[in-house]
Amino acid sequence: MKLTSNAGAVEFRKSLNVLGSIVKRNVKNQYRNSFLGVVWTVLNPLLNMIVMALVFSNLFGRSLQGADYPVYLLSGNTVFNLMRMATTNALPCIVNNSDLLTKTRIRQYVFPMSNVFGATVNFFFSLVALILVMLIRIPNGVTFHWTMFMTVFPFLPALMLFSGGISLLLCIMYVYFRDIKHIYTVVLTLWMYATPLFYSLEALHLSETMMTIMQINPMYHFVTYFRDITIYGTVPSFASHAIIYGWGIGFFLIGGLIFHFGKNKMMIRL
Amino acid sequence: MKDKIILPDDVLIDVRNVSMRFNLPAEKIDSLKEYFVKLLKGKLKYKDFWALNDVSFQVKRGESLALIGRNGAGKSTLLKLISGIFEPTKGQIVTRGTIAPLLKLGAGFDYNATGKENVFLNGAILGFSRKEMERKYDSIVEFSELKDFMNVPLKNYSSGMLTRLGFSIAVDVHPDILLIDEILAVGDIMFQKKCAAKIAELQKSGTTFILVTHSINKAKELCSKGVYLKKGTVAFQGDINEVTKAYLSDCNNQ
Repeated sequence: MKLTSNAGAVEFRKSLNVLGSIVKRNVKNQYRNSFLGVVWTVLNPLLNMIVMALVFSNLFGRSLQGADYPVYLLSGNTVFNLMRMATTNALPCIVNNSDLLTKTRIRQYVFPMSNVFGATVNFFFSLVALILVMLIRIPNGVTFHWTMFMTVFPFLPALMLFSGGISLLLCIMYVYFRDIKHIYTVVLTLWMYATPLFYSLEALHLSETMMTIMQINPMYHFVTYFRDITIYGTVPSFASHAIIYGWGIGFFLIGGLIFHFGKNKMMIRL
Repeated sequence: MKDKIILPDDVLIDVRNVSMRFNLPAEKIDSLKEYFVKLLKGKLKYKDFWALNDVSFQVKRGESLALIGRNGAGKSTLLKLISGIFEPTKGQIVTRGTIAPLLKLGAGFDYNATGKENVFLNGAILGFSRKEMERKYDSIVEFSELKDFMNVPLKNYSSGMLTRLGFSIAVDVHPDILLIDEILAVGDIMFQKKCAAKIAELQKSGTTFILVTHSINKAKELCSKGVYLKKGTVAFQGDINEVTKAYLSDCNNQ
């Protein structure tokens, strides 16, 4: 029967269509009532960076292997924010959309995924901010490298897979346990400080064991990879690629499998 | 894996020995802390609730079926199972053709967005591509009689306008099977007449209905067959007149 053999593909195409509409809606809503609109998305990371740069540049700005401190800071934040925004928004998404899920045939994964794509759109706005800062800092020795194009591929898909995996895990857990939200806020704060966003690991003069522990953090590898291609203009080693894709695919598989096998049980809890 | 059932050509929906269990905690537990406290004390209890028990029926092409029964009999659960929103705990449901579940009007409306934006968003949720929606857009607006309000945010709509918009998007579909959960009483009398005409038109073009309703008249008017559900089991099924008679006499005897 032709009908059933294509049913999966048709279903998938419809889900992509809904996904697109929801991402568009979310991005639009984010700036619907503000006067400056999309400009805020660029301005926000800029202002944030300026504050942080004022506070920390004397403290951590010296030992960055020649990197410009504002650029160093902003590049780290941009990467971390994609993950943070995707996962914190995805966390309550199944519960918040329970009406849609129990009344229409929308596939459940559409909601966590829409947040990952939404955060990715936001990432590109932040990238504009980063490029602006880099332009301004050219007199201070900042240069552009062709390796920056590696952001779109291979860097972004790995980070999106990683964020997607965590999002899938969190949103299904939140259906059962509402205190996950508070726990995750604390985890994120800890995670942010454990990731070298406004400092560099080298500057901390850590013992070898501490250094190894700090490098278990997957975000360390994503941030380092991104800085390699944007600031230092080096092509990351094969090992770096293996690490970020290992984390990305690994988490996506874990999250995806748990979500896949838990979704029917989850539905009756909504 | 269950065996794939191939339906005879004239059967659109085959519900076979379907049971649905809701396995919920006896007390509401919604935090990790409570969960572990209860787990350690050995007080983690679950209560089984069978919303549907061994339900079987078939719907053939061109037939329409009314699901009737008291509140909590499992009618809406059954519709959700047929739509594919829930998976049955036991048994199997096989369907043929496209299904459009209309369980709630305007599910997923975004109140900050304008009417126009919501038409496209809701259309996507119901499974239509942007292109299809662009083609349908004018007829949807005309049917809803909301032409002057399409650029107004939904939060400024009256509740009647909201349901009208929801209904107009929803009925502009031509599925093989339409699942309807008590959403037909919409809007003022003029609009209700229009809705009835639209439903009749769909029925004429060969759409099969499964209708959950408490209105005996509506069931008789729209459907040829009926299933009377009682506490999750099929109490009676067959010709609509006999089914409604059985249901009414049951109600009167209690």
